[in-house]
Amino acid sequence: MANQFLRDAIVPRHLRPELTATDKPGIIRELLDILEQAGTLPDRKAAEAAVVEREACMSTGLERGIAIPHGKTDTVERLLVAVGLKPEGVDFDAADGQPSRIFILTLSPASRSGPHIRFLAEVSRLLQDDTRREQLLAAATPEAMAAALA
Amino acid sequence: MLVIQLAVVLCAAKAAGFACERWLRIPDVLGELGIGIVIGPYALGGWLNLFARPEAGAFPISPELYGIATVASIVLLYLAGLETDLSMFLRYSVAGILVGVGGVVASFALGLFGAVWFGLADSLGSPAALFLGVISTATSVGITVRVLSRRNRLHSPEGVTILGAAVIDDIIGIVLLAVVIGMARMAGGGQSVDWWRVVAIAGKAFGFWIVCTGLGLLLARRIGKFLEFFGSRETMATLSLGFALFLAGASERAGLALIIGAYVMGLSLSKVDCSDELRRRLEPVYHTFVGVFFCVLGMMVNLGELRSILLPGLLFSLFALFSKLFGCALPSLLAGFNWRGALRIGSGMLPRGEVTLIMAGVGLSMSLISQEIFGVAVMMTLICTVVAPLLMAGLFNDASGLRREPRAEKAVEPLALQLPNKEVAEFLARQIIEMFEQEECYVHQLTTGEPIFQVRKDRIAITVKREEDRVLLICSEQDREYARLMMIEALAGLSRIFDGLRKIENPSQLRGRLGMAAEIG
Repeated sequence: MANQFLRDAIVPRHLRPELTATDKPGIIRELLDILEQAGTLPDRKAAEAAVVEREACMSTGLERGIAIPHGKTDTVERLLVAVGLKPEGVDFDAADGQPSRIFILTLSPASRSGPHIRFLAEVSRLLQDDTRREQLLAAATPEAMAAALA
Repeated sequence: MLVIQLAVVLCAAKAAGFACERWLRIPDVLGELGIGIVIGPYALGGWLNLFARPEAGAFPISPELYGIATVASIVLLYLAGLETDLSMFLRYSVAGILVGVGGVVASFALGLFGAVWFGLADSLGSPAALFLGVISTATSVGITVRVLSRRNRLHSPEGVTILGAAVIDDIIGIVLLAVVIGMARMAGGGQSVDWWRVVAIAGKAFGFWIVCTGLGLLLARRIGKFLEFFGSRETMATLSLGFALFLAGASERAGLALIIGAYVMGLSLSKVDCSDELRRRLEPVYHTFVGVFFCVLGMMVNLGELRSILLPGLLFSLFALFSKLFGCALPSLLAGFNWRGALRIGSGMLPRGEVTLIMAGVGLSMSLISQEIFGVAVMMTLICTVVAPLLMAGLFNDASGLRREPRAEKAVEPLALQLPNKEVAEFLARQIIEMFEQEECYVHQLTTGEPIFQVRKDRIAITVKREEDRVLLICSEQDREYARLMMIEALAGLSRIFDGLRKIENPSQLRGRLGMAAEIG
């Protein structure tokens, strides 16, 4: 099922192997930039507000260097995913206190049901495998990232 | 008149069932059968002209009322199939086949001999002996299902074996009926038995069963997706019942009992995501009409007819009871059950009902058996049906019925969250349930009180539970990350609510505004 989700939602133009930001708000903005530059984000402002609002409630930094910033807004019609890497790590207020290195940002429609958290759970579960995580972090191109996530 | 008859049957069945459960502490099905005898056309119903007293040899129930009862039996078996745990069914299918075949062979053979020994038939090849043999084989799984369901033992190894065996038993029984009718007709017409014709009848019946079950299991996911396409849960449930009726009808056209098609349909859909939803939506239909079915079975009993053959009939019934009990219990011993488990299975296979009476009715309507033999069939049905729930009630205690316990699956520690009090825990549990529904999962409430919910979607199965001030999510290792993120999201939602509440600086001020609004209103 994870593979199905990944095939449907993760596209190479939404993947960036080298994020430049050095803090949480910067990482979120940069991930949203990826979607905006790809022309898939209809309302940048609403999307950023949704992700920041969710982040303010509780940090989305998980264990093992993975963070899943996400938000719900009716300005998107389907699940949008952007993935970025920062091998040096950024403090994302993660549950284990470690810096986060893999960022999976998702935006989903607020008033439409769908397996959105399940998508995040599948990706997070996939990346619990050390080899796969290292393979993803070593990826230098969007295509190599997509291959590591497939 | 049909509407009044139906009203009487419906109310009488419910009241008698309630009385049995509440005051007599026996299964409600006995009350429904018993009241059927009392209000039937041969007793009170006939005297009060509520039901027309049937002429000798005629079928005692009007086709309209019998039609309603038949639909009820289809709903009953469809839901029984839907409730079956398929993996458990397959795990115990060998046991089911052993028990089913053992029960049929023992009860048919001993039924034939018993009919001759107790003077109910002239010879082993006579139509009366053949019919008494074949009607001794059938099991009314509906009665067993109801008793097991009430005791939460439908999914136990014994329960699943009984269900599997009853299906096998029904198939062999119905094929045997087709064969017996053929033989009885040939004997009646003075011809010798045409074995090729007998084999052809048996082959057709078995072929239907094999093809339908195989196709049903193969297409189950597609059927499930097709039902989900309609979105509305009521439409899904109604359509699925339509499918069950269709397969039941096809089953009858192939020479099998209606109920076999209904059970196969239920079994095929038991693994789809929405199976709990279908069951939940159809339960009101079940509760309304199943009482009618058992009451109508009771109405077919003519106590007056039984007087002349009371003793041989009684002896034959007891003989049939023991042949079925041990015919099913002994093969169970070979299938990993101990004596307790074997006797539970034997007792669960005892009730005779719809199939026995339908078989006897077929013989009666074709003039292959007499009214007395029909009476014996009813007597046997009644005795076995009365004894079986009582035996089952005594035998189905907490002790294991297996010789060796199956290897337990690796236990996974539940995800638990301790909250400040019961109310917050309850609120969070509800939030989690709502979120799972937003994720397009099917949520089914298993119990009331401290509620337990089961979440299902594709291969996902997560149990959400509140225990005092704790919320627990129980799942396999595979689903753990999903459950964990859902819990985190619910906590984030809770945090958002608290932030919102903090913005209300003075709740008394809000109350004041409410008061003003009320005054204006």
